[in-house]
Amino acid sequence: MRLKDFTSNLKRSDPQTFRRLSLIQTMEITIKFTINGKIVKVEVPPHWTLLRLLREKLGLTGTKEGCGIGECGACTVVMDGRPINACLILAPKAEGRSVETVEGLGDQVFLHPLQQSFIDHGAVQCGFCTPGILMSAKTLLDGNPHPTKEEVKGAISGHLCRCTGYQQIVEAIEDTGKKRKVIR
Amino acid sequence: MIPPFDYIIPETLEEACNILWEAGKGVGVIAGGTDLVIGLRNGDHSPRLLIDITRIPELRKIEEQDGRILIGAAVTHSEIVSSPLLKKYGKILSDAASVIGSPQIRNLGTIGGNIVNASPAADSLPPLMVLNAVGKIVSREGAREAPLDQLFKGPYETNLKPHEILVHIGFEKLSSVMRSSFIRLARREAMAIARMSMAVVLRIERSSNLIKDIRISPGAVMPRPQRMPEVEDFLKGKSPDEAILKTASQKVSGVMVLTSGVRSSTPYKAPVVEALFLRAMRSCLEDRG
Repeated sequence: MRLKDFTSNLKRSDPQTFRRLSLIQTMEITIKFTINGKIVKVEVPPHWTLLRLLREKLGLTGTKEGCGIGECGACTVVMDGRPINACLILAPKAEGRSVETVEGLGDQVFLHPLQQSFIDHGAVQCGFCTPGILMSAKTLLDGNPHPTKEEVKGAISGHLCRCTGYQQIVEAIEDTGKKRKVIR
Repeated sequence: MIPPFDYIIPETLEEACNILWEAGKGVGVIAGGTDLVIGLRNGDHSPRLLIDITRIPELRKIEEQDGRILIGAAVTHSEIVSSPLLKKYGKILSDAASVIGSPQIRNLGTIGGNIVNASPAADSLPPLMVLNAVGKIVSREGAREAPLDQLFKGPYETNLKPHEILVHIGFEKLSSVMRSSFIRLARREAMAIARMSMAVVLRIERSSNLIKDIRISPGAVMPRPQRMPEVEDFLKGKSPDEAILKTASQKVSGVMVLTSGVRSSTPYKAPVVEALFLRAMRSCLEDRG
């Protein structure tokens, strides 16, 4: 059955659902969500992943595509306070949600304490995995300001880094937690 | 690249059932999407319409009802891990959910997806099997209850009809006298698919020190999730001493080989599945305190 036949059948048998369904255009849908604190309304084909929407439509290329199948964590963004793989989630799922990317963390003038700590500890080499790891680390510290080494390792277990061997990354995250303690 | 399709997010179960019923072929149901999106990317599926069931309230709840725990199909693995209800009455399931994929995958992936996808290596299935879980399935035709052991036909195959939706999965609360253990073996700790796993629920009668209830379900070593009634019957009424457990462990590997056949991996898997069973049993016995 073609989509046209499907919708005309539905119109007869279930007008209420049909009305909702007909609001969705076949090529692109409009989704409204919060990105780094700003509400945006974008047209997007529903088969796009959130990653593609961020990179190709919103110009937020800080989020990287690594493996594209949820193994490497390079595309990690935070949605409603939880880190997720932007390559595994279809764009329509962002409707009404709040998404944070590395662009929302800090900038070259005002670095986020985590970003400064990554620099101080030499936790960035090629840098491809860094934006994703920063987002997982930020989520960890938001909920648990002084994590143990094991908790840090658990939080970044969904990330691959082929340069550093992780040691400097773990130290950088732990140290961010410790420094916060001093400020308080 | 993922080929185009339409997408709808129904707000009620009735609406979702109606769309599925009307839509016929080429329509897919999407929950967390952690398996489906990879399948779309690989060209394994090419739906013309996807129905997103993750915003239907009935599918999003974990609740207690008449001594049973009901988990909505669209509840994520992370939500299972952090649920106090499950920690108390179904810890074996939260233990299993806590080792699925990675934190990012657990925040997206759902228990319903893990069930319906029916991977032989799915981590939540052995625990659900030993919890005697029953799924509630609805369609426009009505509702039916499906005990989990009858739901699976083979690898990646269930007897769910195309117009049916899994609403929730329920099981009787595990009482405090029941001990349980889930052990998982994978090539590395994070982000690896289970090579083998073992779920055991055990009740020892305190006065006699005999096994009153025992439920065993290994993961990833058989084509579909199943229990091992042969071994369970052997153990019931016996004392859980090392000699008995050793014999039982050999029966476990025996059933595995009978079900899955002798494979090139059998010389590795047989002793390892025995060891996993022994570890799971010992962990239950120590836990008894």
